[in-house]
This record gives sequence, C-alpha cells and structure tokens, in this order.
Amino acid sequence: MSDTDTNHECVCAQLSEEELYPRLELIIEEHRNKPHELIMALHKAQNLFGYLPRKVQQMVAEGLKVSLNEIYGVITFYSFFSTVPKGRHSVKVCLGTACYVRGGQQTLEKVGKELGAKVGDTTEDRRYSLDVVRCIGACGLAPAMLVDDDVYGRVKSTKIMEILDQYK
Amino acid sequence: MTKEKKLSITIDNRTVEVRPHLTILEAARTHNIYIPSLCAMEHLPSYGACRLCVVEVDGLRGFPTSCTTPVEDGMVIRTDTGEIRTLRQEVLKLLLSEHPASCLFCTEQDECKDYQGTIRKAGVITGCRYCPNDTRCELQQVTERIGLTETSYPVYYRNFPVEKNDPFYDRDYNLCILCGRCVRVCNSVRLNGTLSFKQRGKITTVGPAFDRTHLEAGCEFCGACVTVCPTGALSTKTSKWYGKPDKEVATTCVYCPVGCTLKLQVRKSEVLDVLPDYNSALDHGFICVKGRFAVPEYVHSSFRIPVPQRITPLGYNDISWDEAIAEAAERLAGVKPDSFLMMVSPQLTNEDLFVAQQFARQIIGSDQIGSPLLYDLGADTGPFVNLVSQSSAFDVIDDAEAVLAIGFDSTYDYAPIGIGTKKAAQRGAVLVTINSCDTNLDMLSEMAFTCGTEKWSALVGLLTGASAQGAAPLFPTWKKDIAGIQGIFKKSTRKVIIAGPGLLAAPQRTEIIEKLLKVKEKGGWDIIVAHPYSNLKGMLAMGAFHGIKTGAIINENGQAEGVKGDLSKFDLTKGCTVIYAVGVSDLDSLPDCDYLIYQNALPSESQRRPDLLLPAALFTESSGTVINGEGRILPVNKAVEPYRSAKPDWWILNAIGERIKKGVMKYAQVQSVQKEIAKTIKGFPGVKKRLEFSRIDVKMKTPKGAPKMRKQGQFNYRGIPLEAVVKGMKAIEERIELISGSNRGAI
Ligand code: SF4
Ligand code: SF4
Ligand code: FES
Repeated sequence: MSDTDTNHECVCAQLSEEELYPRLELIIEEHRNKPHELIMALHKAQNLFGYLPRKVQQMVAEGLKVSLNEIYGVITFYSFFSTVPKGRHSVKVCLGTACYVRGGQQTLEKVGKELGAKVGDTTEDRRYSLDVVRCIGACGLAPAMLVDDDVYGRVKSTKIMEILDQYK
Repeated sequence: MTKEKKLSITIDNRTVEVRPHLTILEAARTHNIYIPSLCAMEHLPSYGACRLCVVEVDGLRGFPTSCTTPVEDGMVIRTDTGEIRTLRQEVLKLLLSEHPASCLFCTEQDECKDYQGTIRKAGVITGCRYCPNDTRCELQQVTERIGLTETSYPVYYRNFPVEKNDPFYDRDYNLCILCGRCVRVCNSVRLNGTLSFKQRGKITTVGPAFDRTHLEAGCEFCGACVTVCPTGALSTKTSKWYGKPDKEVATTCVYCPVGCTLKLQVRKSEVLDVLPDYNSALDHGFICVKGRFAVPEYVHSSFRIPVPQRITPLGYNDISWDEAIAEAAERLAGVKPDSFLMMVSPQLTNEDLFVAQQFARQIIGSDQIGSPLLYDLGADTGPFVNLVSQSSAFDVIDDAEAVLAIGFDSTYDYAPIGIGTKKAAQRGAVLVTINSCDTNLDMLSEMAFTCGTEKWSALVGLLTGASAQGAAPLFPTWKKDIAGIQGIFKKSTRKVIIAGPGLLAAPQRTEIIEKLLKVKEKGGWDIIVAHPYSNLKGMLAMGAFHGIKTGAIINENGQAEGVKGDLSKFDLTKGCTVIYAVGVSDLDSLPDCDYLIYQNALPSESQRRPDLLLPAALFTESSGTVINGEGRILPVNKAVEPYRSAKPDWWILNAIGERIKKGVMKYAQVQSVQKEIAKTIKGFPGVKKRLEFSRIDVKMKTPKGAPKMRKQGQFNYRGIPLEAVVKGMKAIEERIELISGSNRGAI
C-alpha cells in the first residue's frame, strides 16, 4: 500500500460534496476488504470531506467490511474525527488557565454570539467552525485566540469581528 | 497431532501442571483457584477492562491482569496477598463510583431477594427496581467475594434514559460497567456487529451507530448480550421480575431443523427464560431469537386450550377426557379407510408421529396421512423431501472452501448455520449468495446476486455448472462475475450449497432442486437445507407420510436403492367422514368432512370450527425425540407439567386408538413407544451417529386441492404464527417485511 500516489489534501473548499464521492471510491479501493485499515481510511475520508457524514461512513463500512456500528464507535471515540462539517476557517478560543482568568470565557461567548454557533459547531455558510483549546503557549498574550494558524493576543471584544472578517 | 507439553506453574504455593496457551486466569480456574473477574468470560476474547483480576507474578513488574497474561513455564503467581486484596477493593470502589450501589451495600440485601417484585406496597421491602431479580448479578457476587461493604466515593449517577423501544430486552446503561462482554459476544462470537462502544469518557455507552434502535441496526435478537452481561444493564422484558429459577432443564429446540440445545430456566410449573449452551457441540450456543425469546410466551400463552371441548350450537362445552375419548372413538369406529384423513405437523416429536401413523394404518386401516407440506409445496413435495433426505451434516461448512447460499438469511433463524458460514467466509472461503433482497451474509460475500426468484434456477445452473442452457443471456451485466465464480467453484473441492427457505418461494423450485441433486452427485457439492419443517426427517423416518413405512427410509449401509412413494392419487378435495388434525391449524384448506378433530395447544385462527378440541401438551411438557436436519436423534425433555388437562399427542392418539381397537398400541409411557420404534429403527432413540437417509422417489402430481400457499409469516410452530402469541415477534416480522417485501421464505 502506498500513500504517495493519491493526494488526499482537503479539496472540500473547491468541490461540492457530490463531486467528492468518486474520490472517496478511490480511497475505499485502496483499503477494500481490509477491516484493520479502518482508521487510515477514515483519516483520508475526513481529509477529503472535512468531516464524516453518514453516507461516507456507510460507504466505508461496506467497502472495508466493517459494521457501521463499529465505525461510529471509532469516530465518536477519537476526537480527531468529526461528524459535523468543518468550516473553511477554524476559530479556536483559548481557555487555558491564563486566558481563562483574563477573560477567555467572555471572548468565547462574544465569538459564539457573533457567529451564531456553539462550541463544536460550524456556521451555516461553512465559513467558520468554533472550538476551544486548552493553552496554546501564548499565555503572555492572554486572552488568546487562534484563527487557522494565526495567533491573536489580548483579544478585545470590540475587535473580534474585525479579526474574523479577514477570513473569507 | 503432537501432544502439547504441559507447563508447570506455581499458584499460591501450589505447583500445578497446565496446558500451554492459557491465561493465568484460565489456568487458575482449571485448578479451582478463584480470582475475581468481571470482564473475562469463557468463549470471549480477553479484554482486560475491569482490572479486578490483578495478581502478582515473580519477575513481572506491578500487578498484571491475569486474564490477559499468558502462563509460562515455571511462573510463580500469587493471587491473594494483602496488597492485592486492597488493590482490588480500590479498583472495585472506582468501578462502583458510576454504578448505583444501594443493592450492593444495602443491609436488607438478603431479604430483598425474596421480596423483590412483590406488589404489596406496605411493610415489606419492595426492592430498588434497578435490576432484574433473577439473582444472576455477577457484580453482586464479586462485591461479596472481594468483601467490600461500603465505598468512600460518592456515586455519580449518569442519568441515561432507559432504552425500552426494542423487542425482547431492555437496556439501562446507568448500570453498565463497560466490561465490553456484550460488545465482544456480538462481534466476535455472533459475528453480528450491532454493538460498539460509543463516545468516550463518562458519557460512554454501548449501542449501535446514530441512536438507531437495535432492530434498525441489524440486531438478530439472539440475546447473547443479555446472557453475558454481568450486571442488570441488559434484561429480558418478560422474565426480569420472575425471580430465581429453581432448576434448569436441557432440551432441544423444536422451532427449526437445526435442533439447538436450549437450557430451560424453570421455576415450579413455569419456564421463565431460556439460555444457550455454549458447550453444545452441535450449535455452540448460537441459538436464534426463536429459541432464546419465543419459548416462554408460547408455551404459557393464556390462549392455550385448557380442557377437551365439544362443539354445540351455543359454542364449545368443556368435557372430560373420558367423554372426549369416547366421542372420538365412536365417530371413528367403522370409518371407511379412504374417507379418513390424518393430518400431522412435521413439528411433532418422533414418538407422536410414530403413534399417529400407527393410528391411521393399524386402527383405521388407512394410508391417508398428509401434512401441510402438501399445501405449501404441491407437486414439489416429492422432490423437496428427497432433497432433505440427502442433506449433509452441518459441520461440512467448517472446512468448506466455497459456499453458495440460495434464498438464505440467518438473521432470525438457522443461526448456527449462518454463523458457520460467516466464519468460513472470514477465514477465506468464497461465499456467494443468491436472493431477491439483501441478506445478512452479503457483507462477507464475494458476490451477492440479488435478483427475482424466477431467475434463480438459471443462475444456479450457470454457477454450479449443472446446466447453462439458455441462461447466460438472462444476466448480461453479470457476465464477468458469473465467469469468475464459475472458475472458483470449478477449482474448489470442498463446496457447500445452503438451500434456504427462500427456495420454497421460487416458482421453479423443482427445477432448482433437480440441479442441486445433480451437482451433489456429479460435482462434489454438499447440501444443507434450511427449512421451517423442524422434524421433517423424523416424519419421514417414522413413516408419518403417505406410502412410506416406518424406518423404510433409514439407509443403514449406505446403498439402499431408495424408497418409492406415490402421492399422485392423493386428493385434498374429496370429502371425508373424519379428519384428525394433529398440530395442524390451517383448517380452512382441509377437505370437507362430517367430523373434524383438532388436537393442538392453541386454537386455530381459521374460520372453520372443529367438532372436537383436544388440548395437546407442548415440547416443554412432555418428553420425546426429534431428528434434526443432519439426521441426529436429539432429546426433547419435559421440564414442567402439562398446562391444565393437556396431554402429550401420543397419549391422546393411544387412548382413542385403544378405545376403538384394543391391544394394538397399549402405550403407557413414551419409553414404550420408543421400544416399538426400535423394532424397525435399530437402537432408537440411543443412536449416537447421524442416521443416513436413502433417496426418496415420490411419484407426484399436484394433489387436487393444492397447492394453496396461504400467505403466512415466516415463523410458526404447530401451525400457529409465533407473532400471534409472542409479542416481540411482531416487530421482527415487520422488519423482515420492510427489508424484503414478501419474498423471504413465504411458507
Ligand atoms: S441480541 Fe445478539 S445481535 Fe443483538 S445486540 Fe445482542 S448480541 Fe448483538
Ligand atoms: S451492558 Fe453489561 S455486558 Fe455490556 S458493557 Fe455494560 S455491563 Fe458489560
Ligand atoms: S477480568 Fe481481567 S481485567 Fe477484567
């Protein structure tokens, strides 16, 4: 089995979900009838779709000959896997000790209100997903927030929309 | 096989010899040394979740779990030091920090067992109602052994809603200790895959994906998970408040021709529950929903016929056995042999069937012996019984290289054959299925041919090489697949065909049967037939079949030329003087008659009203034997007294027979019937090996008045649909309907 010949970079932003299924078929083909390669297959499928919708789980189940119930167990066990779609941009508010005491919770509430999303959710336009993290090593800048790979320190409630707006 | 060298180990200062490849826990158990354990269980893969089985081993760091550590030669093990005891108590406390502990530490515990389930409200302990009161809680037993009487941690109640929306069993995951036994039995033993751990941390539970019900997720309701659960988390709906059984009676299931061992859990005159026997060599404990859950509600149904009854213009009148026997004898005496019809169910025991045919032949002098097969199969009855008589032992599946399953799905019946097939496929045998809808084997199959029953004959011909004539053009899209499978089949030597109940719904069933028999002769295929007529082989062996005498079909030295039968003159339209129906309940299809005797346990659902009702005892209430699909004689053992005045079928037949013609039968007990059978079938019923059956060549025309395929549910016993008396079976029938339309096993 080789991992190099198919490029499983997330292309979910450019293609519609329907258009991704033929690519999923290719992934499944690599692992067909190999139940012990489940995690690898799910990993690639998630990279492709950004999350693991029920239909994808079903196809992987049939292809690898693993029961759907087992797949669901694996997906809900590992935090890496997600059953809700991820947005194009990930917004992570830090709630580590330092950020927490300096208002991380308020930042989180404000972000949630602005986006209309709860922790773990994705906005309806799939532009943002909201999550919390426990310390990103930027305690000196508390309260901190992470959008994709960019760190924002000393976040003020009034600045939040301004920051988020930069990410289209 | 070379004998494996035993290992010598020292457990708690005792030096003992043990087989290699055992875990420490298993080794200790074989020498009756107790190590507490909750997640380990015989027949299940080791898991190491509960941590109660910790021990000390010289040379190993810390406290290894004995259920996951293999024994090695010279190992020195301590299972019960002070340090281990403290550690176990601590582990148990943690385990109980998420489990309601009132019943474990309650001071009224002993009394509680006796009073739980009472309906009196005051003055007595009514129990906490968390758990069933069958006293099978292993958690309680282990807590007692470990000697924990209180806990220092607060109990965190997880507050999961109790799941009651599936048939047969309830689930309360607040009581679950996440030992994973149910998950392992469902996946590794039943090979079903309904159960899995979901989520993580303190919200972990067990169940199928996406909050589906078990029914939707493909659960077969085999109840294995309920059987192995060491807590009250999983419990049988009907029996959970019925208390502790006081005896266990092993018997044979009469619901299908596999004949699994059932361990009836009995209290006084009631069968409370049924458990599998994991040590049974025949079925390995792989019983299906019918054996596991459909026995108590059937045999203790409140619709049972309590006493003999005679029809009057105003309804049925209760009469005594003496009156009933006298009346039946009077109506039967002097009946002309060809105006008599004996209808027997192929689900009776051998003894009942033997006496029934003797009754017809020697008391009435008539060979008019029929069964529901004539209606279900019409002109195909002959070929079908021939196929059944030539079916192989079930264990041919164990080393098969190729399996072709036709019209077969083992979700709700024939479970041991189904699991055997799945195991074969998992170890690399090529499995091919033909069906008109998805089956539970498709997932493991090389190829699943899903097509209408009208194409099956052609497909079977092509795949097995029995005949390819004109068939290929029917399957343009499968050209490559068919060629591939043909190639594989040609190369394999150990090949098995499983002919399932779906076969009976195929229009060209005779043609298919002929092809199967041809490839059995010429192509080296073994054949297993899964059909609903539980004791059909017994019926044939006993000669409870028109034109076939007792024992004639048993082929002792493997070369008898076969038995000839002739059903071509059988007429199911001709009016009779008397019809005697034993365990047959489709009365509307029977010919007209002046007098109809209906002998069964439950009333018929037909419009037609019999003249005399005779209450028959059921298989839990009388002893006897059956011959299963592979030709083994299996015991049916009495566990409780018959319901009200019910009597065994053979007893009733004998009593009426004796009244008509003295001295022909004279059977006082079932053993005397067996002695009589042994005159023709040597060694009966003690024969240990499979009985070999010869070919049967029955001259057939469609009997007049047949076929008339009454649309029935899939499961019935003595003509009564199980769903009529067993509540949960309704949901199962509906599920089958949903998945398959109506094609699956129309009988
Ligand atoms: S009843 Fe059988 S198939 Fe259903 S969940 Fe339990 S073990 Fe699995
Ligand atoms: S339901 Fe019972 S068998 Fe299953 S994990 Fe929980 S305690 Fe163990
Ligand atoms: S029995 Fe060994 S860890 Fe549970």
